[in-house]
Amino acid sequence: MVLADAFIQGILMGFLFALISLGLTIIFGVMDIVNFAHGEFLMLGMYTAYCLSISLGVDPLVTLPLCGAVGALLGLVSYYGLVRYLLRGPMVAQLLGTFGLMLFLRYLAVFLWGIDYRMIKKGLLVGKSLTIGPFHLDMTKVVCALLSLVAFTVVSWIIFKTRVGKALRATSINREAASYMGIKTERMNALAWAMGGITVGIAGGLLANFYYIYPMVGLLFVMIAFATVALGGFGSIKGAFFAGILIGILETVFPIIGHLLKTSIIGPHYKMTIVYLAYFLVVVFRPRGLFGWEQ
Amino acid sequence: MKKGLFLSLLVLAVAMGLLMGPFAGGVAAKAKEIKIGVIYPLSGAFAAAGRDLRNGAELALDVLNNRYAELGISIAKWEGIPSLKGAKIKLIFADHRGEPGRGADLAKRLIMDEKVVGLMGCYHSSVTKTVSAVAERYGVPMINGSSTSPVLTKRGFKWFWRTTPHDETFTKDLFEFLKGLTEGKVRGVKAVPKEEIKRIAYACENTEWGSSVAKVIEQMAKEYGFDVVKGILYSAKSPDLTTESQALVAAKPDCMLFASYISDAILFVRTLKSMKASPKVVWGQDAGFEIPDFRATLGKDVHGILTRTVFIPKVVKVKKAAGKINALFKKRYGTDLTGASGRAFVALQTWAHVLNAAGSTDPKAIQKAANELFIPAKELIMPWGGVKFDKTGQNVLGTGLIGQYQAKGGKVELEIVYPFDLATADMVYPFTTWK
Repeated sequence: MVLADAFIQGILMGFLFALISLGLTIIFGVMDIVNFAHGEFLMLGMYTAYCLSISLGVDPLVTLPLCGAVGALLGLVSYYGLVRYLLRGPMVAQLLGTFGLMLFLRYLAVFLWGIDYRMIKKGLLVGKSLTIGPFHLDMTKVVCALLSLVAFTVVSWIIFKTRVGKALRATSINREAASYMGIKTERMNALAWAMGGITVGIAGGLLANFYYIYPMVGLLFVMIAFATVALGGFGSIKGAFFAGILIGILETVFPIIGHLLKTSIIGPHYKMTIVYLAYFLVVVFRPRGLFGWEQ
Repeated sequence: MKKGLFLSLLVLAVAMGLLMGPFAGGVAAKAKEIKIGVIYPLSGAFAAAGRDLRNGAELALDVLNNRYAELGISIAKWEGIPSLKGAKIKLIFADHRGEPGRGADLAKRLIMDEKVVGLMGCYHSSVTKTVSAVAERYGVPMINGSSTSPVLTKRGFKWFWRTTPHDETFTKDLFEFLKGLTEGKVRGVKAVPKEEIKRIAYACENTEWGSSVAKVIEQMAKEYGFDVVKGILYSAKSPDLTTESQALVAAKPDCMLFASYISDAILFVRTLKSMKASPKVVWGQDAGFEIPDFRATLGKDVHGILTRTVFIPKVVKVKKAAGKINALFKKRYGTDLTGASGRAFVALQTWAHVLNAAGSTDPKAIQKAANELFIPAKELIMPWGGVKFDKTGQNVLGTGLIGQYQAKGGKVELEIVYPFDLATADMVYPFTTWK
């Protein structure tokens, strides 16, 4: 019973991890750039939900599209204002560039909101639990999982079923060839950043329903997002989805096994170790990740 | 793709290097100043606590360096250190971000570059451990105000003094309190049968402080005849505490005990509430459970939670000095004093008394003065018997309090429930807030 409960909780957390990783993998897939500021996008999505909830008294669920819009705007501004120029430089410049963006956004948040912990206290879902039989599930996490599923479906549909998606994939596989075919690769890059921004903005809006908000909050999640993306395969959407869920399950089920066996060797203090161990093993034995393309 | 991965790891490494930023507030030296290096967590996840500590230290500095005769304590009349011709203390703040290695580096830099006379800090026991080791090596005196791992004063150090009581005292307070609960000594609660509160589960963060608390809980539970049904050590920087909460709930404890910093404390309350956890007693070992952000963020969800602490604004009823200094603090920073800011105040106050007694900034003189120091209770804002160090450097006159958050008409107040004779309100028992 405890194990089943842990399993369900793990899947719910996994959906969230997957949603956060989605934007990272899209951007990487199209441009081969790791967006270090991804966690900060998430953090700003959370602050958007928080500010709207406080100033307008709007339910954080209603403001989700706005969080997405803020994320998209952030993505576009980052791309046109910074990343576009970085592309001309060497690979290291690209990496350090988004790293600088991360520091800038983080301390911008410190400047704007200070270092206090904040939390949304009012909302349709805030603090509500869903009781099914013996299981108590956090309502926000359930909704979060559903929306994560929707986001993955929509993104997959765009990428695999539409003309724009085809162009995105073409850019991803070979940028030069794509531009010879008349694809405006610059626009595709911008689109990838916008899509990445929207998904992580929405993730932030959802997360704000049950998580505390402060300027460094992105770091906690982005580390897991990196592991998720690497585990699933850089640039793979399916990979991010399954790797996210896998990490969620590993993280919750592993310590519970220790609880059931009544041993403290397998305990919550090692839960992240097991996640990164899985990541390490995949990197060593299957470097392209679970669902990555073969080079 | 592999290249990307390699580079991302490389950049992470570079990133960590870059994060080793400069000091928070180093300014060029002036004559007739006594420099004290203060190492606190001023940014990152623990910044809220760091700010609180810094406020406490800065208020004490202001009270020492300027005249506030109306406060009725000695340092308020001194305007500097009297025996050193009114020399002013200058604090040089440095930010350890909760990282022991970083703390040790900062200590070295403060000692070598800034030539500080002494050190103060560091809040996290894990950081205090490394910083005090550096201080010991260089023979620089260090006064610690708020790190409570018992081990810190059991290392035979000659240059380390601690004003706060440590976790053995505090945890003993808790078990005395639970015992009192079964004997009907708690205000407003009839004697509770021991069977009703016998099962204990704890979750402690896994660095120096939390793991030492865990040990003390195990040991005291045995002494007082309680059953520890579950013990968890967890990482305070975890993005999710679902598993930890689940393991606690699954053990069906009567009392849940925590040693948590702020973000994890908030997360525990939120997660346990979503699981409708129903322990009868919830107790936090200070730190996260006591920082103003805890109550401000969670609001009514903390109703009934106990926290051990060393300062509750309600002690002004029994301590006059505390009332006046708390009013000054509140006027300046907008919040009441807490265990963190209050103890930072006392730590600097102790520095002032030690320097005054030493009449010199020579380390040997300071060491002697500290070992012989006695600050009477009436000087302190803490409800302690005073400050007097034993051979290990531990203040033997410190005592703890247990407070309970009680929601009253939209406001959440922290009421004293232990010691029993200082109780300011009836205890809320059993705990039902998360059901």
